[in-house]
Amino acid sequence: MSTAELSDERLIWMFTQMLRIREFEERVKRTFEDHPGVIRGHTHLADGAEASIVGSLATLKDGDQLLTTYRCHGYPITLGTDTKAMMAEIYGRKDGLCGGYGGSMHLCDPGRGFLGTSGIVGQGIPHATGAAFAAQLRKEGQVVLCFFGDGASKQGAFHESLNLASLWKLPVVYIMENNGYNVATHSEQEDANAANGEPLSVKAKAYSMPGVTVDGTDPLEVYETVSTAVQRARGGQGPTLIESKVYRLSAHGNLIAPPGVPLHYPEHEAITVFGNREEYEAALRGDPVPRFRMRLVEQGTLDADRADAIAKEVTEEMDAAVQFGLDSPFPEPEAATNFVYA
Amino acid sequence: MAREIPYIAAVNEAIAQEMTRDDTVVFYGQDVAPSDEDPLVKSFGRDRVRVSPISETAEIGMAVGLALAGYRPIVELLMAEFMLVAMNQVTNEAPRLRYMSGGQVKVPLVLKAGYGFTAGWAGQHTGSIYTMFAGVPGLKVVLPSTPADAKGLMAAAVRDDNPVVYLMHYLLVLEHGDVPEGEHLVPIGEAAIRRPGNDVTIVATGWTVGKALQAAEALASEGIDAEVIDPRSLQPLDMPAILTSVEKTGHLVLADQATRHASAASIIAAEVAEHGFGYLKAPIKLVTALDATIPYSEPMEAFVLPDETKIAGAVREVLGTASAVA
Amino acid sequence: MVERETALDLLRTMWRIRCFEERVAKLHHSLQVHGLVHLSIGSEGVAAGVCRQLRDDDAVYSGHRAHGHALAKGAPMNRVMAELMGRSAGLCQGLGGSMHLVDTAHGLMGATGVVGGNLPMAAGDALASRLRGEDRVTVVFFGDGAVQAGHFNETVNLAALWELPLIFVCENNGMAEFTPRSAHTKVARVIDVVAPYDFERQLVEGSDVGAVWTAFGAYLDGARAGKGPFLLECSTHRRSGHYEGDQQSYRDALEDAEWAKLDPIARLEAVAMKRGWIDEQAAQRLTAEADAEVDEAVRFGRDSPPLTAEQAARLVYASPE
Repeated sequence: MSTAELSDERLIWMFTQMLRIREFEERVKRTFEDHPGVIRGHTHLADGAEASIVGSLATLKDGDQLLTTYRCHGYPITLGTDTKAMMAEIYGRKDGLCGGYGGSMHLCDPGRGFLGTSGIVGQGIPHATGAAFAAQLRKEGQVVLCFFGDGASKQGAFHESLNLASLWKLPVVYIMENNGYNVATHSEQEDANAANGEPLSVKAKAYSMPGVTVDGTDPLEVYETVSTAVQRARGGQGPTLIESKVYRLSAHGNLIAPPGVPLHYPEHEAITVFGNREEYEAALRGDPVPRFRMRLVEQGTLDADRADAIAKEVTEEMDAAVQFGLDSPFPEPEAATNFVYA
Repeated sequence: MAREIPYIAAVNEAIAQEMTRDDTVVFYGQDVAPSDEDPLVKSFGRDRVRVSPISETAEIGMAVGLALAGYRPIVELLMAEFMLVAMNQVTNEAPRLRYMSGGQVKVPLVLKAGYGFTAGWAGQHTGSIYTMFAGVPGLKVVLPSTPADAKGLMAAAVRDDNPVVYLMHYLLVLEHGDVPEGEHLVPIGEAAIRRPGNDVTIVATGWTVGKALQAAEALASEGIDAEVIDPRSLQPLDMPAILTSVEKTGHLVLADQATRHASAASIIAAEVAEHGFGYLKAPIKLVTALDATIPYSEPMEAFVLPDETKIAGAVREVLGTASAVA
Repeated sequence: MVERETALDLLRTMWRIRCFEERVAKLHHSLQVHGLVHLSIGSEGVAAGVCRQLRDDDAVYSGHRAHGHALAKGAPMNRVMAELMGRSAGLCQGLGGSMHLVDTAHGLMGATGVVGGNLPMAAGDALASRLRGEDRVTVVFFGDGAVQAGHFNETVNLAALWELPLIFVCENNGMAEFTPRSAHTKVARVIDVVAPYDFERQLVEGSDVGAVWTAFGAYLDGARAGKGPFLLECSTHRRSGHYEGDQQSYRDALEDAEWAKLDPIARLEAVAMKRGWIDEQAAQRLTAEADAEVDEAVRFGRDSPPLTAEQAARLVYASPE
């Protein structure tokens, strides 16, 4: 389906999801300031990647599946997972999406096709490849989307999985969200292709599959590119590697510190490690969420009043999510030994 | 000349001092000094201090090659679990090459990682998996629990001619302690008696050493005098020190953050059962993590982990005084 | 095409390997060499064409199919045989065996039984040369089966990024254990798998040892001058099974005429004879000399006792001298 066939309502839906992701992530970040100690461990936000996430997921049909990295909040939000349960999970509560067992890095909603994440870079890629293998066996035309970052493409698991998926023509679409950083390291410092000024999609050649680079800050371009790949997969022609270029607007994650030190979000590594404030500010100016809103308003798809109304609803939704999380009880300690085995 | 610095600074000090002392020492890993302004880069240059991609098999395998070719690499792996991706290189290559070559080669390298970060890092980042490495002949495994030991064991690890898995504890990184300024080496394979005592031996590793000391304080007020031993390295393991203590006290409690069958506690218990059976006046008791993946939510996380209350309770049990403190 | 001197040296090297391997097969059958052995029959051209150009201090990393590399690199044949027989006079005092041949005096630095495990080690070794500013080169041998392993990609990326003086030599025999390459990947040529990293690479027929010699020689010069990495893919034919004892029910036997075209020794001999560099008798002498050396190696191995347990235990850890 090309973007020309997207209805106004569908476009507005896409914008709404992008806004929901942004507002959810802002609330997670704000929790560190407003309610210190509530969120423990490490969280990773999707602000800046909304267009890439929503543009990709908009191509899916019922029954399709996806696996992601630990930077996972944006996907279930788009799929319709209850944001109250998500926030409660991040707050470690009993009514959390995973009962408080997993936390921010390990959300899942298998009923909606979100099979899960891995906290270990690149290790979800073989998982998605296996899910695609199952989809192939079932012959119901399902497709699997596999999300990972540019850092993961240096993992052996990336190499092994893409080779197999191509050889067996598995119905999987590999979506590499390239934000130019691996935590505090530039891609050019760790990737031979990046160091030579090449797009990372050239890696696809080693696996005899199509590789394409797309502007991940434009949801419609992402939609177009991922659609093509999804159709290819559904038609039995095998996988595609898509490099979706994004810029994350927050630091890699919140501060890492032992208990007793308040956690918070530091500034982006462009500033704190490389002293390059201009790079960060340029990315802020290209923020995909307000850009898409402006585009839809300008082309008459969305009027400003409706946009404001949507924003208001989204704010209320996320207020409720935070409150639900804060009000939720903690799990019983003894529950810790459940679910070890099936 | 000693002064108080945090654990993490002590580790870094050892690395910098060893790199100054021996220019065959190189240091690389993910996020190691990405900026050219980093003091390590300024001191030693980009050849010897590098950032590498998320490629653990290549990073660790290359360390083996560097070592075979006469260098002494330190690889920053960040978290112990990240070594699992490259288990072949860690357990099946690095420690075996000297032996299989009939002694022709040696593989001096240090695999540096943090472990046990039970601060909500959830199931895949908080494990205590050291016994996966400790049973492999040819590998050494060290677990410093104080800043001074963090420095001394890193220096010793770098100078050791064997592959060493150096596991620092993430909950201890900001703990301050006296650390000698100049060269400071802690022999690998030598335990430390953290608190001498006569009634019971508590052997504890890493973060549980602090818990054991807290338990000992509480027990002291009940008239129980506990001896707390920190093995500091799991391989080689200082069984003579532990056996000497058990011979004196006749009672043994083992505290470890790993799950029971994956703990140093179960290894030590077996050794004492075989070599120190006659010393024991009561069965040995293990206080380890429960058999579960570490959960994210705090009350559940605390539930599965050992702590000072559980350790003190175990001591009372082996001394038969449990019922006296109801 | 190579010069006469070189051609004769290469023939001699290849015959030594061939005779050694054929004898190992017999010894294995009679249980005098035990365990898992993987023979290099058919790929002698690559071992000879590459290793005969290297210095003792250049490093070679190999895998489980390393006998040919070891002999061509200069490991004494009698000590290789003793190693295969598990004797204390062996290269590794009998502790390594066929898959773990190491001879540091001749630069044979590592061999691993885990497919591709040697790739990152070789990269680290090349990095060492770079750090010391030496013109020493590292060569890593691997098969086409290793190319699909994750660590191959990790190593290739790092070697390209850090421009290491490392020469990847892939012996592509079209088989990975018991299955053809097409069951392992869509990409038939290894040079195409590394194409995204865009360093110098080429594919030659491994049975044309002159072509191997020339291609590798150019890469060697480049690596000594500090350039790298390079990849030389050599198509070979694995004459035996994956290991000794493999019934090979999974593939058809080659006709003799076809084999003659793929046999590096037959090919070079034909050329050498045509140019008058050797005749029938000289060729037979070469074979006889090689066989005699193998006989002597077997005697040497048999005469050496195995290591004792106490001696072996002292080799688990390195201690300061």
